[in-house]
Amino acid sequence: MGIINTSRIKSPWIMHFDNSSCNGCDIEVLACLTPLYDVERFGIVNMGNPKHADVLVVTGPVNRRTARVLKNLYAQIPDPKMVIAVGTCACSGGVFHNCYNILGGVDKVIPVDVYVPGCAAKPEAIIDGVVLALQKLSKALGVAK
Amino acid sequence: MAPRTVAPFGPQHPVLPEPIQLKITYEDEKVVDVVPAIGYGHRGIEKACELNEYPKNIYLCERICGICSCIHGISYCEVVERLWPIDVPPRAKYLRTIWSEMSRTHSHLLWLGLLADAFGFESMFMQFWRIREKVLDLLEMTTGQRVTQSISVVGGVRRDIDDEQKKKCIEVLREVRKESEALINVLANDYTVKARTVGKGVLTKEQAIALGCAGPHLRASGVKEDCRMQGLQAYGDLGFEPIVEKDGDCYARTLVRCRELLQAIDLQLEAFSKMPEGEIAVRPKGNPPANEAVYRAEQPRGEVFYYAKGNGTRNLERLRVRTPTYANIPSLLVMLPGCELPDVPVIVLSIDPCISCTER
Amino acid sequence: MIENIKEIKKDELLAEVKKFADAKARFVTAVCNDLGDKLEVTYFFNMSPGMEMHGLRMTVGKDEEVPSTTGIFLTTVLIENEMKEMFGLKVKDIAIDFGGHMLLAQDSPVTPMLKTGAAGGKGGE
Repeated sequence: MGIINTSRIKSPWIMHFDNSSCNGCDIEVLACLTPLYDVERFGIVNMGNPKHADVLVVTGPVNRRTARVLKNLYAQIPDPKMVIAVGTCACSGGVFHNCYNILGGVDKVIPVDVYVPGCAAKPEAIIDGVVLALQKLSKALGVAK
Repeated sequence: MAPRTVAPFGPQHPVLPEPIQLKITYEDEKVVDVVPAIGYGHRGIEKACELNEYPKNIYLCERICGICSCIHGISYCEVVERLWPIDVPPRAKYLRTIWSEMSRTHSHLLWLGLLADAFGFESMFMQFWRIREKVLDLLEMTTGQRVTQSISVVGGVRRDIDDEQKKKCIEVLREVRKESEALINVLANDYTVKARTVGKGVLTKEQAIALGCAGPHLRASGVKEDCRMQGLQAYGDLGFEPIVEKDGDCYARTLVRCRELLQAIDLQLEAFSKMPEGEIAVRPKGNPPANEAVYRAEQPRGEVFYYAKGNGTRNLERLRVRTPTYANIPSLLVMLPGCELPDVPVIVLSIDPCISCTER
Repeated sequence: MIENIKEIKKDELLAEVKKFADAKARFVTAVCNDLGDKLEVTYFFNMSPGMEMHGLRMTVGKDEEVPSTTGIFLTTVLIENEMKEMFGLKVKDIAIDFGGHMLLAQDSPVTPMLKTGAAGGKGGE
């Protein structure tokens, strides 16, 4: 396997996007980066630029205005890419599922690979979700792990 | 005249995890004009609150914002209690105060970390968030959840804090206070921090009042206003004094939050020592009567305004929430023009923006 | 019951708001209520310094035009835009007019906060 694929699995770069979530999951995603949970020990780095990212972490339900932004960001991430929906809202719309401005979960707009439920999803669950996404990615790349 | 460039700040931006867009016009590197474009976080919670039965709205109101969720839940319960009115048992009042201050502690630690991150002080960010985890552990231990506690019900609170938990809380809070003091000492006196914050985004006292700012943002401009001064819940017994700074720049706003963080811990310790024994909840009788009520509470970001109107059924006729960031966004229109490009994230963060609050 | 609310007419609004501005009061927020055939708008002010709150309440028809208070308090720009798009309150001459799309997107329902406004099912079920 090539060096690029190896690095992709050993050190995925994630990008976080907040749809219209309540911030609960966002601060838990950020908490993953900080000393107690520290995902950087697994080589996971948080990125601000979609063109550098491998994994898109999405929190919150999709509303009518963020749908376009989300599609745009997804299109900018180079292949192969993984999408993780963090939190109940991102999975299905959660408590907001039939509010008038909400379209529903992230999968209404872009394909989702891993769902991490919870309101708010705990950092342990988020890390677990990223690991699951990597297993899926290595299978897709034909790299046995 | 130098050519003008329009650059968007957001809705996806490395500094701010939340979706707000500021269309900023620059002349070279100087900001000349700002137009905020919001609506990326609008869900329609106010309408959903009218369609739901009143006890269920607690969960919706808590999800207006995940950072100050505890105080949102408590404020909703308080405003609905005022419709009857219901008198909450004294122990419940103390417990609500303790949890409010606990969430203020975690929110201010979060903000101080994000501020450090905004000007690239990465290790300070990590240190503040490391301390914050201890506070979250306390919240999880006493309420059962890290982020959205759902601890308040109409008529009281859902859980009590027993003696063992109380002992643990006091022990951890003392530790948190000591560690925060050490970090605040660095943040408040460091040369590089001062270079990025002193004299940036100045808002005078008159401007702050005219723009209707709220919370630490208002108090940093020298206005002594804090909803805790009303003496509701247990604040009347705790000898609360608002913290005021007078310079009105980013540095003053940082200092206000630093001092409030330590004050919040002191208030919790004092509340633990004075907490009376007794009931923690009363059961509301019947439905909210046809009446209207207003309640204002001090959130970490400032004053939150709850308006409720009942109609005698299990549903509310109207619920309106005005959150602190809603009041603070117009001040960006005054603070940003004239500043330099690298100061934009620091000034935007200095109002402690919470977009999901603003748009509901 | 809310204390210190003064009922006013639509034409008196600007003069009354000006009085608050002269007294160095801080604008808190406005609340719009749908009364069926009319809209009820209440403006809340905080008397700085201190925590005393006063209100101005006016009742207007759904097709009546209301003057904008943004000339006196710039900060009312957000709430007036919000009332305009959520309730269809006809506020004229707002300092920054978002044209009914401040919070709502192009394909969102129109004036969703009205009692007749269809707004999907119940949220939070």
